[in-house]
Amino acid sequence: MSEKIITICYRKIIESTNTNPWDKFVHEDSFAEFKMQTQFYNQENKYSSFSQLLINVPGAEKLHFLVGGAIIGYIQQLKTIIPDVLDNLGRRFLTFENFKFEIINSDINDIDKHKIALNFFSKPLILHEIIGEHLLISLFTESGSEEVFTNLFKLQPFVSIHSIKNLK
Amino acid sequence: MVGAISTPVIIEACKKTSMSDGSTSGSGSAGTTASTNGTCTVAPTETEGPFPTKVPASYVRSDITDGRSGYKMTAKITIGNINNNCAALAGAIVDIWHCDAEGNYSEYGGTGMQSTNYQSVHFLRGRQVTDANGLVTFTSIFPGWYSGRATHIHVHVYNSAGVSLNVTQIAFPEGTGTSVALVNGYSKGLSGYTYNNADNVFSDDKTGVQIAAVTGTLTAGFDLTFKLNVKA
Repeated sequence: MSEKIITICYRKIIESTNTNPWDKFVHEDSFAEFKMQTQFYNQENKYSSFSQLLINVPGAEKLHFLVGGAIIGYIQQLKTIIPDVLDNLGRRFLTFENFKFEIINSDINDIDKHKIALNFFSKPLILHEIIGEHLLISLFTESGSEEVFTNLFKLQPFVSIHSIKNLK
Repeated sequence: MVGAISTPVIIEACKKTSMSDGSTSGSGSAGTTASTNGTCTVAPTETEGPFPTKVPASYVRSDITDGRSGYKMTAKITIGNINNNCAALAGAIVDIWHCDAEGNYSEYGGTGMQSTNYQSVHFLRGRQVTDANGLVTFTSIFPGWYSGRATHIHVHVYNSAGVSLNVTQIAFPEGTGTSVALVNGYSKGLSGYTYNNADNVFSDDKTGVQIAAVTGTLTAGFDLTFKLNVKA
């Protein structure tokens, strides 16, 4: 196959059942921020759920962005490594700079309804080959052509190819 | 290192179910639980860590510049309590946000495939907690302007439990020699600028109660001071 440059997106879902400490911090702190930021969009205190706000209040979609601002400190703790996604050697290997926070559901009165997604977008990768169920990739660099180190990994739920272009 | 920061977090107080105060944490890390994946894949085989630590909301910072260029501006905002003869209100949470020199806010849409570099996406937004004198101080740049609005800074004041007390905007003085005249709208100039008396937010402020005191020069930067009284 002809080589292509791709980016990978991992959409990490966090809800109240997550047990990992990092996940719990992100969950609690984003919920606290949700409760603070919604007050601007809910000045008569008519709504409690995120979906009600989205339907009834102009501009409430900005809450994705506004709430996401609270948890950047945790994203920095990852030190540019995308969590959870492992290569076939069992190691995390994807790196990211771009990221997007998303509120899936929430309710100011119930933290158990607070469910969010962290979308991580990998740095550009070269897709060399598809071997069985696995993708053989390496980090894209401008210099190229020399021997490169590769990672073999299998696409898993909540991991997708986000963008693609032909390598000239 | 960000991960090492462990500050008593006021924001904690507004949580419904607050768990640890989190100066430290147990084991585990973001990377070692393949949470979503019940399918047939390799198990994680890595050293545990880095250990996550509880951090304050990323908005909590005094310098909100995030690499935006412009004339330096120090904003000193004092919060008073109307229910206590406007005496200083300590422990209040103060959020501010404003546009950059070109008039753009750090906002992107809530939908779509857009993603942004997480290091700088929330530029010109910040949060501080008032000291015993009711004072918060932010370092930023002088705001630019955009069509239909006079130069302004948004402010949202919360009590220490995160309950909203006031959402308002701070206006800037106008006229010869003022900061607005000196900055001259940055690269846009002031052609088409909306002055306070035509601004849909500030035009009803006949006594100037929403207008800050602003001193300084282009080279030295500007100092903005403002007293905001809320019912706490």
